[in-house]
Amino acid sequence: MSWFSFSWQNFWFSFLALAFEGLPFLMAGSLVSGVVAVFVPSTRINRLLPRNPFLATLASGFLGVFLPVCDCGVVPIVRRLLNKGMPVSCGLTFMLASPIVNPIVAFSTYAAFRGQSPGLNTLIRLTAGYAVAVLAGLVALKVRPDAVLKTDVVRPDRRRRAGLSVAPMPEDAPDGNVTTFGAKLIAAVRLASDDFIDTAVYFMLGAAVAAVFNTAVNQAIILPLARHALLATGAMTGLSALMTLCSTSDAFIAATFISFPMFARMSFLIFGPMFDFKLLFLYRLLFRKRFIVLLGVGLYVLVALLCSQVLPLIYASRGL
Amino acid sequence: MRAEVSKYLNGITLIGVGGVLLAFWIDHRIDQYLHPLFRPGVLAGGILLVLAGTLYCVTTASRRCCVAGECVHEASQSPVRSFAAGAVLLAPLVTGSLVSKDAFDRNAVMNRSVVQDASALVARSASAYQGSAAVPQIPATMLGGDIDETASRDASASASTPAALAPGTGGPAAADPNAPGPGDTADGENYLPRTADGNVALEVTDLLYGEAEPSLRKVFSGKTVEVVGQYLPSKQGRHFKLVRMLIVCCAADARPMLVNVETDRPVQQTDMAWVKVVGKPLYQDIDGKTRVTLRAAAVMPVDPPADAMLY
Repeated sequence: MSWFSFSWQNFWFSFLALAFEGLPFLMAGSLVSGVVAVFVPSTRINRLLPRNPFLATLASGFLGVFLPVCDCGVVPIVRRLLNKGMPVSCGLTFMLASPIVNPIVAFSTYAAFRGQSPGLNTLIRLTAGYAVAVLAGLVALKVRPDAVLKTDVVRPDRRRRAGLSVAPMPEDAPDGNVTTFGAKLIAAVRLASDDFIDTAVYFMLGAAVAAVFNTAVNQAIILPLARHALLATGAMTGLSALMTLCSTSDAFIAATFISFPMFARMSFLIFGPMFDFKLLFLYRLLFRKRFIVLLGVGLYVLVALLCSQVLPLIYASRGL
Repeated sequence: MRAEVSKYLNGITLIGVGGVLLAFWIDHRIDQYLHPLFRPGVLAGGILLVLAGTLYCVTTASRRCCVAGECVHEASQSPVRSFAAGAVLLAPLVTGSLVSKDAFDRNAVMNRSVVQDASALVARSASAYQGSAAVPQIPATMLGGDIDETASRDASASASTPAALAPGTGGPAAADPNAPGPGDTADGENYLPRTADGNVALEVTDLLYGEAEPSLRKVFSGKTVEVVGQYLPSKQGRHFKLVRMLIVCCAADARPMLVNVETDRPVQQTDMAWVKVVGKPLYQDIDGKTRVTLRAAAVMPVDPPADAMLY
């Protein structure tokens, strides 16, 4: 059988399914983004984070506990937070960690791995996801924001705060006349709508690519890789990017790949929510292309090494 | 003027996307695409998008949307970008809704055969089973789920188990996975779902789960079962595969579950046609693994079930 056999029938079915599953999450994320933009002053968000940039980056990895959004929905929120003055390192850490370090994903991972050491696997997923996200954020601390962010996301100006190197959004509401609750609500919905349209365009492009892969590429060609530890991890890491699954549900898919070792499946669950096809498109809303490429390669190498070299030792110590 | 045009284009886009979501939900086409848990999200998302789009059209845009004078929203100010965004969002959704057949063809099945062990699938969980009338609601005691398999082979130990009290269990029968087991008791029979013809109504997944669970094998073996699925031809004339797609979240993650069917004579059906197979499951050890083959007594075309996907 050929490795590629495209069919419009399969494409439309898979594409629409992805759209119907993802668009409501995207709208929910955009609404949270709009509410954050209008109702939550940047001073309050920044107050949640320590002033020390290093500690602020560490703390950002836990924001997902309070804002449990999936990998699609987090992008507009991060864009809004960056727009309101969040440091790039914190924004990046939050963006990478929150699709994993949040209660919904913890619950779904535990449920999916029932009978396969669910507690240990959930703990490993959340801990490793947090560690990778924080590491990426700490690297971003050393990089100039204008080298990372698209200029139309945040324009650096001369004002700088401790640990903050981006221009904060004005503290007043988007429109100077927006003061009442109703007016703020309308402003929040309008902002959410703008965010949704911007992000949904990229999401649809990503969904189209994922639909082609999911239906036209013979996935049996991937399976022989399972026999080699490093290749298995690399393959599962790559597969997670190609399959473009939502972080709230990807554990159910990973749990079925039982011919792959557990550490390889864990790479699927850590890398996928941080970097996949649809996120590749969504990240273009925030970052420069060069940074996106570096981010993808860096995360891939880091997750593959972590899962193929470190996690096997942990599983072995537990007799798994 | 440009902002006004953009405003209406964006509003129409939002209403259009919400409308497609609502249309799929209202006519139940969404049932073919999403797991039941995700379907309410389509309704909620559709309503929110229609409301947001309406609000977007009837309210006035802020003078400065984002950072003073520098709006980050690509589509909110330029009519051309608004139109392009609307086209990327709406055109594929509308086109897809018009031409989609709400099902996969055989190419997708052949490309996606990556489920390697049915025992790992989440659908085995109790929560996934709830509300599914086609799934046998067999108590664990009737399946032998509370019985230690090794202990059941020990006559002295088995005497204390409920299964041992039932006729047809213990001794050679307990050692033979294909032999009648606890499910063949009169009580166990009552829990097996039956068709009007008196056959045991099973899903493809039930037969596959039997490969991993000796207790299920005992229940199913020797019974005349009735299984509905899609026909996938095999190179061997008297064999074909019975397919059901199992989804975790949406059709995009659907995985084909296949059962080999053996017939007395070649079956003439179109690819992926819905068929009902009446026959007896045979569990055999092949290369150290237990595999099921459904020996068909009859294969007949049927209408697609209300839920084409399994969850």
